[in-house]
Amino acid sequence: MTGSRLSRLGAPDIDESSVSGAPDAPARAHRRPDAPGPGTGPVRRRRWTEDKVMPFVLVAPAVLIVVLLRLVPLVMGANFSLTGDGDANGAFIGLDNYRELFGDEVFRTALKNVGLLLLALPVAVAVPGLLATFLFMKVPGHRLYRSVYFFPVVLSPVIIGAIFNVVLSFDGPANQLIGALGLGPVDWLGDSSVAMFTVIGVHIWATFGMALVIFMAGFATVDQSLLDAARSDGANLRQTVWHVIIPELSQTIQFVFVTTMIGMLTGMFGLLYIMTAGGPGGATYLPELYIWVQQGQMNRPALASAASMVLFALMIIVGFAQLRLIRRATKES
Amino acid sequence: MPTRGPARWVIAIPMALLAVATLYPLLFTLNVSQKTRREYVLDRFGLADGLHLDNVVDAWQTSDLGTYTLNSTIVTVGSVAALLLFGSMAGFAFSQLQFRGSKTLFLLILSALLIPFQVIMVPFFRVLGEMGLLDTHPGLILAYTAQFLPFTVFLMTSYYSRIPREIVEAARVDGASTLGIYRRLMLPLGRPALLSVGILNGLFCWNDVLISLLTMQSQGNRTLMVGVTALRGQYSDNIPLFASGVVIAALPVLVVYLFFQKQITEGVTAGSTKG
Repeated sequence: MTGSRLSRLGAPDIDESSVSGAPDAPARAHRRPDAPGPGTGPVRRRRWTEDKVMPFVLVAPAVLIVVLLRLVPLVMGANFSLTGDGDANGAFIGLDNYRELFGDEVFRTALKNVGLLLLALPVAVAVPGLLATFLFMKVPGHRLYRSVYFFPVVLSPVIIGAIFNVVLSFDGPANQLIGALGLGPVDWLGDSSVAMFTVIGVHIWATFGMALVIFMAGFATVDQSLLDAARSDGANLRQTVWHVIIPELSQTIQFVFVTTMIGMLTGMFGLLYIMTAGGPGGATYLPELYIWVQQGQMNRPALASAASMVLFALMIIVGFAQLRLIRRATKES
Repeated sequence: MPTRGPARWVIAIPMALLAVATLYPLLFTLNVSQKTRREYVLDRFGLADGLHLDNVVDAWQTSDLGTYTLNSTIVTVGSVAALLLFGSMAGFAFSQLQFRGSKTLFLLILSALLIPFQVIMVPFFRVLGEMGLLDTHPGLILAYTAQFLPFTVFLMTSYYSRIPREIVEAARVDGASTLGIYRRLMLPLGRPALLSVGILNGLFCWNDVLISLLTMQSQGNRTLMVGVTALRGQYSDNIPLFASGVVIAALPVLVVYLFFQKQITEGVTAGSTKG
């Protein structure tokens, strides 16, 4: 819709031949770039403005949408978090929401679970890193493995959660398997001391393929001559990984740490929603689920906003690293 | 560093086991979806004795999966179209055109990468409500567009910045307008990136549950992933039907994955190495 309206603004004065004639352009390159081309007489004045105005027209939809629907709501949310709910709706109450939040047992559990995510983070990075190294060594069947490992990444957390609801049910195949080894049965999702580990495990199962392909892309940039040199110097696998691959991949490793942590902080809602809904006894809350429950079910939008700001603070800490990486990437391109 | 000799085969064993562990839950669900209810109660693990496609038909007919699928399709197609249009426009301008404030505006858009939806959920819900777009398809399309636009602009900008400036300058010397260059040069040249970004965004929209759950509250407007969460309650005593519903919901994604795996992995790794 917008496209056709825009094209009426500026397009009529060019035709196919003006662009396809581009290859012989250098011969005429002495002409000032903003000078009108042949046959554009009547629109000469518009043409000068077009160059200046069009860039803004082109970025306008993206800038407007992002500012109005991402950045402005962030400021509004920060404001909400300082106001009351219910009878005190809209009234400024200072930091009361934050006080209530950190006094709330459920939210404290949510933060404790973020701590668990942090503990799981090295595993969630090291396992795909090791697997990528093996794939890079071209073990038999590496192409197939890569496709298989990545597939759960494209499935919705809801689908994954639904599948594991059945697999991890008390009489499901998971317990059958460990039963065959003489263990269990474990109440994977019903035992409050186990459930969060279960959900984190499922999340890692579902997403390690993501880190894997990022590592693989990093491996593709490793200087082959370094590897050849290491080999001719008689380095074994461990030495090669430690002294060549890890230093060469430091940027990729950082990137994987950041994206994996962000995935854990913001990508587990679907799993939690369908697998445990925060239970048993609030044991599997994360900030994102807490926000949703307070906004949607408890009708406490201001309290939810305060929790949002805490999540945002966590994101900023992680995102600091991300922003540094993006800046480096854009600088070098 | 291709290693030769038996070491490769030793490593291949745990790799193969992990591949089995990755596929098993999926195949188990597929198998269960083909069992009768009786068969499932008697034996959960054995292979289904033949195909029971009527489970899939049953699940389709006794739930609103058809409506949900239609909603998901409308919203995904609409969002991807908007994302590709706005993303390529902005990506072209940021990478190839000089204008005042270009860098600032680009960083402004990138900064939104740090704002997950959970953080702005409450005010977003109000803004959408004030626009009268809650519980409507355009509302959810707008929500997805806002959500995935920063990532799209970032990828399109870095893709277009690899196109030599001379091409644009030559076209301009030949009298092409900025918009003409966008339509006749940038859109065709950007096709590989547009395909990759489009498929990735399509998956994001199709797979989302949080945004859809928040904005589409009436049952007739539910998307497929929200619908799947409802199946669990509906078929709690008939797991094969539940599994069939899950298989139906996962099938389009499997097909897309089989055809576009390369584009998907290229898209998700595009920001990870320099350039």
